[in-house]
Amino acid sequence: MWFDKNVGYLANLQDLFTYDGSIYLHWIGNSALYAVAGGVGSTIVSILAGYGFAKFAFRGRNLMFSLLLGAVMVPLTALVIPTFILASDAGLTNTIWAVILPSLLNPFGVYLMRVYIGDAVPDELLDAARVDGAGELRTFLQVALPLMRPAIVTVLLLSMVATWNNYFLPLVMLSDKTLYPVTVGIGVWQGLASGNNGGGHSLWSLIVMGSLISVVPLVIAFLTLQRYWRGGLSIGSLK
Amino acid sequence: MKKRALIAGLTALVMAAGLAACSGGGGGGADANANAKCTNKIIHKDAPKVTAWAWYPNTQLVVDNFNKSHTDVQVCWNNVGQGGDEYDKFQTAVSAKKGAPDVVMLEADHLANYVIQGALVDISKYGANKVKKNFSAGAWKDVSVGDAVYAAPIDGGPMGLIYRKDIFAKYGITKPPATWDEYAADAQKVKDAGGPLFGDLGGNVPAVMMALQIQKGAHPFQYDPTKPKEVGVKLDDPASKQVLDYWAGLVKKGLVGTADQFTAEYISGVVGGKYATYVSAAWAPGYLTGAGVGKGNDKGQFAVAPLPQWDPSNPVSVNWGGSAFAVTTQAKDKKLAAEVALGLDADPASLENGWKNLVIFPLNQTVLKSKEIADYPLDFFGGQKAYGEVYIPAENGYKGFTYSPFQVYYYAQLQKQLTAINGGKIDGAGAAAAVQDAVVKYAKQQGFTVK
Amino acid sequence: MPTSPAQRAANRRRTLTGWMFILPFTLVFLVFLVAPLLYAFYNSLFTKGLATGTVFAPLDNYIKAFTDPSFLGGVAFVVGFSLVLIPVQMIISLAIALVLDAVTTRFARFARLMIFLPYAIPAVIGAIMWGFLYSPTFGPLGQLFGLVGLKAPFLLDASHVFGGLMNIVTWQWAGYYMIIIYAALQGIDPTLYEAARIDGANARQIALRIKLPLVTNALLLILVFALIGTLQFFTEPSVLRTISNGGITQDFTPNLYAYFTAFSYAQFNYASALSFALGVVVFVCVYIFLFLTRKRGSFLS
Repeated sequence: MWFDKNVGYLANLQDLFTYDGSIYLHWIGNSALYAVAGGVGSTIVSILAGYGFAKFAFRGRNLMFSLLLGAVMVPLTALVIPTFILASDAGLTNTIWAVILPSLLNPFGVYLMRVYIGDAVPDELLDAARVDGAGELRTFLQVALPLMRPAIVTVLLLSMVATWNNYFLPLVMLSDKTLYPVTVGIGVWQGLASGNNGGGHSLWSLIVMGSLISVVPLVIAFLTLQRYWRGGLSIGSLK
Repeated sequence: MKKRALIAGLTALVMAAGLAACSGGGGGGADANANAKCTNKIIHKDAPKVTAWAWYPNTQLVVDNFNKSHTDVQVCWNNVGQGGDEYDKFQTAVSAKKGAPDVVMLEADHLANYVIQGALVDISKYGANKVKKNFSAGAWKDVSVGDAVYAAPIDGGPMGLIYRKDIFAKYGITKPPATWDEYAADAQKVKDAGGPLFGDLGGNVPAVMMALQIQKGAHPFQYDPTKPKEVGVKLDDPASKQVLDYWAGLVKKGLVGTADQFTAEYISGVVGGKYATYVSAAWAPGYLTGAGVGKGNDKGQFAVAPLPQWDPSNPVSVNWGGSAFAVTTQAKDKKLAAEVALGLDADPASLENGWKNLVIFPLNQTVLKSKEIADYPLDFFGGQKAYGEVYIPAENGYKGFTYSPFQVYYYAQLQKQLTAINGGKIDGAGAAAAVQDAVVKYAKQQGFTVK
Repeated sequence: MPTSPAQRAANRRRTLTGWMFILPFTLVFLVFLVAPLLYAFYNSLFTKGLATGTVFAPLDNYIKAFTDPSFLGGVAFVVGFSLVLIPVQMIISLAIALVLDAVTTRFARFARLMIFLPYAIPAVIGAIMWGFLYSPTFGPLGQLFGLVGLKAPFLLDASHVFGGLMNIVTWQWAGYYMIIIYAALQGIDPTLYEAARIDGANARQIALRIKLPLVTNALLLILVFALIGTLQFFTEPSVLRTISNGGITQDFTPNLYAYFTAFSYAQFNYASALSFALGVVVFVCVYIFLFLTRKRGSFLS
């Protein structure tokens, strides 16, 4: 890099993938796991709740939805410290669940799904299916779900990005470095490098290389899926 | 219809419950250490493991040496960060009552903070006193409270003045400054001749400032761990103010830099001859070498002299850093953990690697008294016999410091004021008063009786 | 309204089915939002010192927080930062969105993606990269200033850190906001523009008189998110702190201060109070904002 010109990119790359028992690959793998598990999980939760809010005029709905809108405004990072204490009491700190489970909470995703389903899934269609004898679950899975695709992709992508980019939560929850996502791992490298403590190994080139590579998966995801999310992003604002 | 609604809901419930149920499996089993991930390779795979955190640049070798020679126990080592980063992790684990390693590397100035929280094990009952004879009374006092021993001392940090021979020669400084007055005069001389900065007042190394204040006669804290709720705080006495004012003056005149130390920025300055001197401890060159100092044009250009004095007829030795291995109360097998704490980096081969590379300054008296270390020419210092000439006499003159049980907070406050001094926003006396106020307030809030 | 037993049964069924669908969310909501909030509140009612036990003192931590110069200083910083940052961000993303909406060349499509990309880069990684770029020794800024014989300013030291951070955050988020506004613009019925053009409106007038009013909801949504996000500012200062030469202190923002209070000083009770107090500050700020724009209704509907 600017101060390490002699070393070739390929050598750096090889160094990155083998340093400290290939810890970097571990981190990328962890990030992928957290992003997929947290993203898919919170999307499923959001779809179900969005559908429930949009299509069932049940008692308690308005109260629950106002609470949800209030939740959009609660500083989620301010929840991290009490969540840490609770997770620690439950013995969950320093496990993957301490990162995955809290990321299931995605009030904004529910909000987006509700607004979208309200517009894109006509009541008449659902009623027709019910009249034909389809149960609630089948109506949901076979009639409503296919109509939600753009919103699902958007919510999925947004929540995966949020989990992939998450730093505060895993930073606080995890102390075993083999569980770190790539964001926390590189942050730790930065701390070690600033303290000149790579044990004789210059970490700066690893940090630069590792940062660049960690960006690639999301960039690819955004580029390939842009047809879906570009439309989906306007859901919350057009109403 | 009702049944179907129920199924729909149940499906949703199962999805959520499935995720929650899996979470039960993540907790620690009977022997959490068996599956602990280690940075090092375990050599004797059947032996029980003891987890350890340490950040010495040569820890890999130290751990391998230990594991090769022990079949009854193996060290599983990780580096979770140097200094503050490790302490944050350790403090969190102490608060959470979960997640601490069995053995942890701590600097002497941080022991009191963890002892008062009941986080460290008294290892005197696990044979610590058998190694007492290897250490000076001062070094042993740093790790013990009365008869209780809370850590095994490894290295110390006697301070000296590291300087660049090439810069001194170029600007006609024939002999390193022996007093702080000479230091300021030489700094002015180099500046007037258009030379580089003479030193650096790094905001992020408050422990250096504390040591320099103590050198002038300050006694920042009075604390006796046998009376854990009483603490004396005196951070704005004349000596503390004068030392801060002295450095503030150097900063104001543009004689010393204001960069944080240990950063890539600072290191490149040290390599490039941006600083004529570096006020630091015996272990510092090892960290600089790891970052690439002393390998290029600056090879062999460094030398070390005794730390400048305020009163040369009555020299005072001071210390920065130095560390020890402690056993945590979360250790699964405290006896095995104590064996590791007492045996790690205590074998001759590890110690020799440490002092030859200047990454540790051994406190072990058998090493310190040997002729080999005193006469060893160090590459980093261009062949200078730095241990015999500077560091061992400095260590022998070191009387020990008294630290507070809230050293981390004190350092953060001092760091804030050093930054303010570097920004020209406050003078030394004002900075000392601000630190005193903040620390006294904090101590009272924590329930201490402040004397 | 009279209800027959059959209708009541249908109502009950709908209520049951509705609750079944939102049950997973409700569980997550209770466990990861309501419980931590209540727990933080509960914790915040106790004080704990190194030399004292835990003491029930319901107001102590809050009195301390709202008289603590570290907390108040942090709040003042994030509020000031929001007041400058958000309008700047908003104007930049709105301007780009309007331009990209008006031109439809291949280059515009490419530009749209490039401007959006920083959003896909984790804030930590972005901050580390900017740390390199800002380095007076290694960064291009130092070299640029060096060309004309000047010393580059260090954008993270105490006197420049405001602007240095503003640049990073704007880079990170402007593209995302731009895409949201752009999507809203694309949703406007083009016949409106035709009508305006027939009435003699030029491009600038169309942008200001037609497009802008029609995307106010999108703008409002962005503003609220930007406000909440900025008041909770944490990641960038936390990553850049160690290389900021003291420009970023441990109490630089309220979230950073709460973090260090909890994890460096083991004061979870006070940290809980700080988190809770920050939550109150955010809520008040958002409410004031929504009140000022008198758009509460449309956002909350």
